[in-house]
Amino acid sequence: MDRELLLEIGCEELPAGWLPGLTRQIGEAMVAALTGHRLAPASPAETFSTPRRLTVRIARVPERQTDLEELVTGPPVSAAFKPDGTPAPAAAGFAGRHGVEVGALERVRTSKGEYLAYRRRERGRTTVDVLPAVLGGALRAIVFPRPMRWDARLDDGKGELPFGRPIRWLLYLYGGRVVPFTIARSPGALSGQVQDVTSGAVTYGHRFLTTSGRAGRSIKVRSFDEYRARLLEHFVILERSGRHDKIARELDAKARRLQGRVSQSVRAESDLLQEVPDLVEYPSVVGGTFGVEFLDLPSEVLTTTLIHHQHYFPVESDTGRLKNAFLAVINTEPDNERTIARNAERVVTARLRDARFFWEADRRVRLSSRIERLDTLVFHRKLGTYAQKARRLEHLAGWIAREALGASGEAAGQAALAGRLAKTDLTTDMVRELTELQGTMGGIYAREEGLPEPVWKAIAYQYLPAGVEADAPPSRAQLGGAALTWASVALADKLDTIVGLFAAGEKPTGSRDPYGLRRAAQGVVKVLADASALGLGNDPIDLSRLVAEACAPFADRLPGGTEAWTGLQLEEFFWERQVHLLERRGYRHDEIRVVAGLPWARRHPLGALLRADATAKARHSQEFQDLAALFKRVKNITKDVEDRGVPLAALASVLKEPAEAGLLTGMIDRWPEIDRALAAGRLVEAMQRLAQFHGAVDRFFTDVLVMAEDRTLREARLALLTRLRRAILENFGDISEIAADARPV
Amino acid sequence: MTFQSLILKLSEFWASRGCALQQPLDLEVGAGTMHPETFLRVLGPAHWSVAYVQPSRRPADGRFGENPNRLFKHHQFQVILKPAPDDVQQLYLDSLEACGIHPRQHDIRFEEDNWESPTLGAWGIGWQVMFDGQEISQFTYFQQAGGLELAPISAELTYGLERIAMALQRVDSVYDLEWASGVTYGDIRLREEVEQSRYAFGEIDLPAGEFGRFHRDLFERYYTLAGALLRSGLVWPALEYCLKCSHLFNILDASNSIGVTERTAYILRVRELAVGVARAYVGPSPDGATEPERA
Repeated sequence: MDRELLLEIGCEELPAGWLPGLTRQIGEAMVAALTGHRLAPASPAETFSTPRRLTVRIARVPERQTDLEELVTGPPVSAAFKPDGTPAPAAAGFAGRHGVEVGALERVRTSKGEYLAYRRRERGRTTVDVLPAVLGGALRAIVFPRPMRWDARLDDGKGELPFGRPIRWLLYLYGGRVVPFTIARSPGALSGQVQDVTSGAVTYGHRFLTTSGRAGRSIKVRSFDEYRARLLEHFVILERSGRHDKIARELDAKARRLQGRVSQSVRAESDLLQEVPDLVEYPSVVGGTFGVEFLDLPSEVLTTTLIHHQHYFPVESDTGRLKNAFLAVINTEPDNERTIARNAERVVTARLRDARFFWEADRRVRLSSRIERLDTLVFHRKLGTYAQKARRLEHLAGWIAREALGASGEAAGQAALAGRLAKTDLTTDMVRELTELQGTMGGIYAREEGLPEPVWKAIAYQYLPAGVEADAPPSRAQLGGAALTWASVALADKLDTIVGLFAAGEKPTGSRDPYGLRRAAQGVVKVLADASALGLGNDPIDLSRLVAEACAPFADRLPGGTEAWTGLQLEEFFWERQVHLLERRGYRHDEIRVVAGLPWARRHPLGALLRADATAKARHSQEFQDLAALFKRVKNITKDVEDRGVPLAALASVLKEPAEAGLLTGMIDRWPEIDRALAAGRLVEAMQRLAQFHGAVDRFFTDVLVMAEDRTLREARLALLTRLRRAILENFGDISEIAADARPV
Repeated sequence: MTFQSLILKLSEFWASRGCALQQPLDLEVGAGTMHPETFLRVLGPAHWSVAYVQPSRRPADGRFGENPNRLFKHHQFQVILKPAPDDVQQLYLDSLEACGIHPRQHDIRFEEDNWESPTLGAWGIGWQVMFDGQEISQFTYFQQAGGLELAPISAELTYGLERIAMALQRVDSVYDLEWASGVTYGDIRLREEVEQSRYAFGEIDLPAGEFGRFHRDLFERYYTLAGALLRSGLVWPALEYCLKCSHLFNILDASNSIGVTERTAYILRVRELAVGVARAYVGPSPDGATEPERA
């Protein structure tokens, strides 16, 4: 019969950001450990967590392990017996290890011959006997972002048991009975106040709230239903969704009482509402206010102070203007609401007073006068200060605007100015205090100084884009007239950082990327891939040229130009980001491999994206798939042949058979239409026209022997195919990668 | 509750829970962690429980007495429990109740906040304790000090006395706190804050550049002396000169006398002393080898 398994690991407060991952892990670890112990559950694991507990419930776990029967292969029969038929040492040893006579062994036939074998049978043990080992395995399997040592160990031969925070109790029940389990404490720590943790049938409710008796007393339970109900009585909402919904409901109600609503931008952009349910066991919401004079602060400063530093929700009016009010999610019942709100108001006021002090002090020094101060801020030990970086950005941003984006003299000048001022906000008190406002603050101060939109927005959004999605901010609407200057500065900053740190030997390895270079490269690729959507024109922007220019200031450390592009493996580094972008936008792996075959794909993210898109649209036609398959043959047969650039017309006198003449004429007469479609950006049409070549290529392979005896003939045929290969690879990529659809669409 | 009765309540509470009451270290330090009662006692196997007040100087936080929440010097109440008792969180909450903070009336939370001191080669896992949205304590399970892995693990409870007193007395400026009956925090400390801030930010009658030069020079001398003390096997005096270097570094940093590159180099030098002190304190391990430092 199947019975219910219930596990609760009672911890001191686990970090909120870890809970979603840990909840998933503990469920998976328990199921894996059960399955590994031949106790595969008959129902799925249900997992729950609060800051103080990780809970797994599996409704149906079998009562007994399945019996084990396995055949253990021993020595080959040919080596198992001496000439007189008595067992050789190999056979005797094998049998001995399994505690049987050689005569009791079986013989099995394998592809390598006949072998001795032992049939191991093990009767399944009762589940209760196995469950301690299951929990031990699961506890070991959980991975923490930052594990801690807490003088704990398991009796499993592996010694110390680090965990996220100390474990203070274990509720471990099977069929309502306690499964015995002990986490031992190290001998050096054991004392009257440091004891082993042993499993039991008790849990604990909210630290401070209770309906009766003293809060924090143990609660005895026998089943999951009882567990959940008793916890709720003791002010613990076990389901995360329950806490989330209660918070969302009360936020709305309390916001209405303050004649406003929860800031829509917070709802949309910050993950605050996702984080707070993991900070509390029994949430409620209190509202507070602050002096109206603080509303003169930029809204970014207000919301950052409230959200990042206090986990509080800003409140706005129905028209979207911030009000002098906030909402705090607390972990208690608000019958003492005003006390808590008043204290929260004092904290908020103190923080806002600091912010206002910074806001006033910072504006007394113009950004341009701050460049000097950047001299004391080191960008990287080997790469000098931010003042040096500012000079590099001034040049590079101006150069990108002019040379890569075709900007006018005025716009290029604005890009250069924005580049020069981009990092000056690092010397402001506001950014030193609220580091997440870097860039944003520089933009706001630049706006306050009266610098034009293309300059201040380029500074404000310099660290964007952060995501790879097509609609990741900044949007075209946000950018207004600043698209070009912004792109110049955003690209210049990222390229300078990437190239500089590569030069300083800080290339990311494995999961180590302390300077966020992958994210920076992702941003570069995203800007270039979405260049036309961002209003930067449709001309392809050559990434390798940008990189070469960014390398120039590091000439003493770096090979120049194209050498850096390939020699530093920057080409590969950026390509990985392009692949990531294409994957995230839903292109299939074979489509991405098609694009990878374009010799220029790595230099032109926009072109690569457009080709991937056209491939995804064209791939389903039968003709295209036929041609893709034929293209593999074209590639194989011309593997070692270079295209020598012979004019196709010159081949006409040699290629006379109808099939080869047909393909040749097609190339001469119909390819120019493909070129025209490509030049006009009609990629799908170009693909369709290409697909129409499938018949000609097919006939060619059916009727013509490429490797003809006659050398002139052979070379002409190969020259035709080589030209076709090059034309397809250079314009469409390696279409042979397209696997035929499993079913025709 | 006055500022001084808060100190008395906490002292009484922890004394009754078996802590030895120590006195502040008579040197300029940035935190109670630097006191030998913490930095040295968390090393090695011996169990230990101690509590003390530590005036803590943070030159960069000096605000000339003008900011109601920031101070050149504040007071920490420091508790070390080694090993950390199983009910250490409850003990901490009980200590708040002893001071008149009733958890049922407020929103008290343990929010993730790990602590690290690069100059001491020390770090730990823990929380900031939030009281109605205000951080009032740092709660840390020490994992490493002086670059050495610790066993057993100590719990360090650091109470921000000014913050707690402000919450209890419901005042908006630290200078309005009642320190003793009829005596305010401002009466006792305001002038000191103004003058110490001016010193920390280099507003003194010395030629430009001389301020930095002078303190660098002191740093070098103390650094050399600390090295000599270490070679002589004098752990306590060596720690004191290491702490003097640490304080000088803080002054140099606050007065903008060092660039960021140099900054890293200074931190590494203080750390090197701290690691030397920690190793000398625990002595060679039984097999004769010193423990390798872990980064």
